[in-house]
This record gives sequence, structure tokens and C-alpha cells, in this order.
Amino acid sequence: MQWSSSQQQGCVVASPDGRVDEATAEAFTEHLASSVALAAESPGKKLIVDFGGLDYMSSRGLRALTLAKRQADAAGVAMTLARPNEVMREILAISRYDKLFSVTDTIEAAI
Amino acid sequence: MLVRFWGTRGSLPVAATAAIVQEKVAAALLAASGRSFADIDEARSFARAELDFATSGTFGGATTCVEIEAGDPANGDPYIICDMGSGLRGFGLDAMRRCGQGHARVYHFFMSHLHWDHIMGFPFFVPAFDPNAHIIIHAGHADAEEALRRQQEEISFPVKFEWLRAKIEFRTLKAGETYQIGAVQVELMEQHHSHSSFGYRFTDAEGKVVVFSTDSEHKMDRMEGEADVEQFFREADLVICDTMYSLADSVSMKEDWGHSSNIVAIDLCHGGHAKRLALFHHEPVYSDADIARMHAESVRYEELTREHDPLEVLCAYDGLEVAL
Repeated sequence: MQWSSSQQQGCVVASPDGRVDEATAEAFTEHLASSVALAAESPGKKLIVDFGGLDYMSSRGLRALTLAKRQADAAGVAMTLARPNEVMREILAISRYDKLFSVTDTIEAAI
Repeated sequence: MLVRFWGTRGSLPVAATAAIVQEKVAAALLAASGRSFADIDEARSFARAELDFATSGTFGGATTCVEIEAGDPANGDPYIICDMGSGLRGFGLDAMRRCGQGHARVYHFFMSHLHWDHIMGFPFFVPAFDPNAHIIIHAGHADAEEALRRQQEEISFPVKFEWLRAKIEFRTLKAGETYQIGAVQVELMEQHHSHSSFGYRFTDAEGKVVVFSTDSEHKMDRMEGEADVEQFFREADLVICDTMYSLADSVSMKEDWGHSSNIVAIDLCHGGHAKRLALFHHEPVYSDADIARMHAESVRYEELTREHDPLEVLCAYDGLEVAL
């Protein structure tokens, strides 16, 4: 999968692109871990996972988010999910992950 | 092959209260406003065709017990039952009726594990008092006999295990082996649960496959092991899966409680190219409306995430029969 990362106002914005499924879950997990580490060093101590480029995420990806959040909590990093598309909104609701994570419509709202 | 669900709840049996039934009746009356029915059959037809299941019926409250009808009773093929939850009582009474019609009095049980909700029905299993019955209890656990005898010690139950009249045997099965038992080939797989649990894969002579996988937690730190689970579920005609909690609950508040979610079950069935999934081992605090909502959400999640052939998502209830 494609992955890009930027810093905005002291926060790390991580932007995966494509699908997170069995084939890409491992790479997704590794990128998330790196992003959390980066965010721990950033002034804002915040990681925003930009879902704007994500088509879909299976339970492997959702659980990888939980693992990343544990790492983030231990490092004092706040984690937010931003810009889910309609499919991802439904998946977050059905899985009740919208109760575990802060979800925003825009990156600005997450910052 | 026919799969018949006698008990579909997890943890503890539950029963509808007067208040719950009154709510269903009120909802049904409202839905029928302005209608009149010539007789009880018309009213029944209306209830079946026009009311949602949570109003007209119930998912039930008995704990885990699933019967697999395979082979031909006329040829003497035995009963096959997964687990001995409180639903076993209903099966036992029905089995006595069928034995009266000539069914062989041979019962092969396959135990996922030995927690109370999965063994609590055995003291009420009427065929165990039949001196002509032969009961074979298969388990991946070597201590299955200890668990069953213990729950019938006098401190817990007034009828001792030793007083049961049937011929009762215990057989320990090994994961990874294939066994021919009755009219099915049986394989088992160890699962993650307190004191371990086992899933079973049953294949009949026509190649129909049903997988019984309950009380299985799919841990976040072992996700790479799920390829083995998908292999176990491969191309099954029906997978019966523990879907007790939401994914969020299963990774937070209910982590290490030994159960799974509808989301993971669907993903595993998709990965294994299974044809049908039965949501199972329902949380006892869930109302019928809660379970129906979970079912609808599961159907939608399957639609959203489907890459190949559709996976039919059923919601198990006490009394459901699935012909494969």
C-alpha cells in the first residue's frame, strides 16, 4: 500500500492509500508504529491518521489501529482518525470503533 | 446435511420476562392496526410474513447445543451433537421421540470446551437415563470426564453421574487428525480460550461441510495465525462462529474474555471462501432487538467488504434449521 506522512502545526498526519486487508495489514501496522514514534517526537504529540485515501479496511486494519493506539497511549500521543469515506464511516460504526477513536470530518478539526 | 440449533446463547441461559412479551404483543398489535384475521392461521401468517423477527419471535435463551443431522437414520446413523448447554434438554426430549420411531440410540457429542454454559444441559439429558443408549463424548480436552462428573456431585446436583444408566464413553481427540465418526469425517483445531477450546470441522459423504467454532478469541498479537483459521473454514457450507461482542468490545473491555466478533467472523469466512456464516453464542444481556440489529449490521458489513462470492450471513436462534 502507499503511505505518506507530513507534519501540520506540530502534528503528524499519516496518509495511507488504498485498502487495508490481509495482504496489506502487516505493512499498515509497521507504518502506524513508525508514525506513532514520529508523533512522540513532534511538538504537538498528536497523530492524525488521514483516511481520505482509504477505500476500505478489514478487521486486521482495525485491530492494527488498536495496537497503534496502545503504543500511542504509552508514549503520551493522542490519536485521531480523519476524513473517513462513506464505506469507512459505516465500518467504524458497525465495529463500534467510532466509540474507541475520535473521528473527524477534516484534518483541521483533528488538529 | 441438516444443522439444527437447540441453544444459541453464551454464558448463561436467559428467558423473556412478562414485560418483554407484552412489548412484543403491543408492537404486533400496532403493526396489525386496522386488520382483521379470519382465524389463528391467518394471524400466524401475518406474524411470519409481516412482522420482524424480534417482534414475532425470539432468538431464544438456551445455551450452546447444536445438532448435525448427517447420514441416514434408517441406516442406523447416530446422532451428532456439539456441546451440552441448556439447549441439550430440548434435544434430548426430541431424540427420545425419534428413538421411539426407530432412530439408533447412539449419541456422539463433540465438546468445544468444558465451561459451565457448555456442559450444564447434561444432567437434564433424558437419554442418559436410557440403559439402551450409547453416549460417546469426544473432546480435545483430556479432562472432559472430570468436568461432567464434578457438576453432578451432590454439592451441586442431586443426581450423581454414576446413577446414569446409558453406556457412556469418553474419547480424547487430537487436533490435526481426521476421524470417521458416524456419518461424518471430523477434524478439530485448538482455539484461544480460557483452558483452551476446540473448533470442529464435519464433512459428510456428499462433501458438505459444517464448521463449529465457538468460544474462540482471535488475539490481536496473533493475527498472522488467522490463515490457519481460514484454512479450517475453507469452503465450508456453514460456519457457526462465536460473534458475542462488537469488535471494539472484543479489543477493549472484553479483551481476554475468550470470544470473537461478527466483523472478524465475516473476514475469516471471506478469507476461507465459506458459503454461510451463522452468528452464534449471543451475549445474554442482548435483547432480541439488539441481536437483530447486530445481524443487520453484519449483513451490511459483508456487503461492504465482499470481494468474491457473497457470504450468506444468518443469525442463529433456538429452533433454527439450516439444510445444506
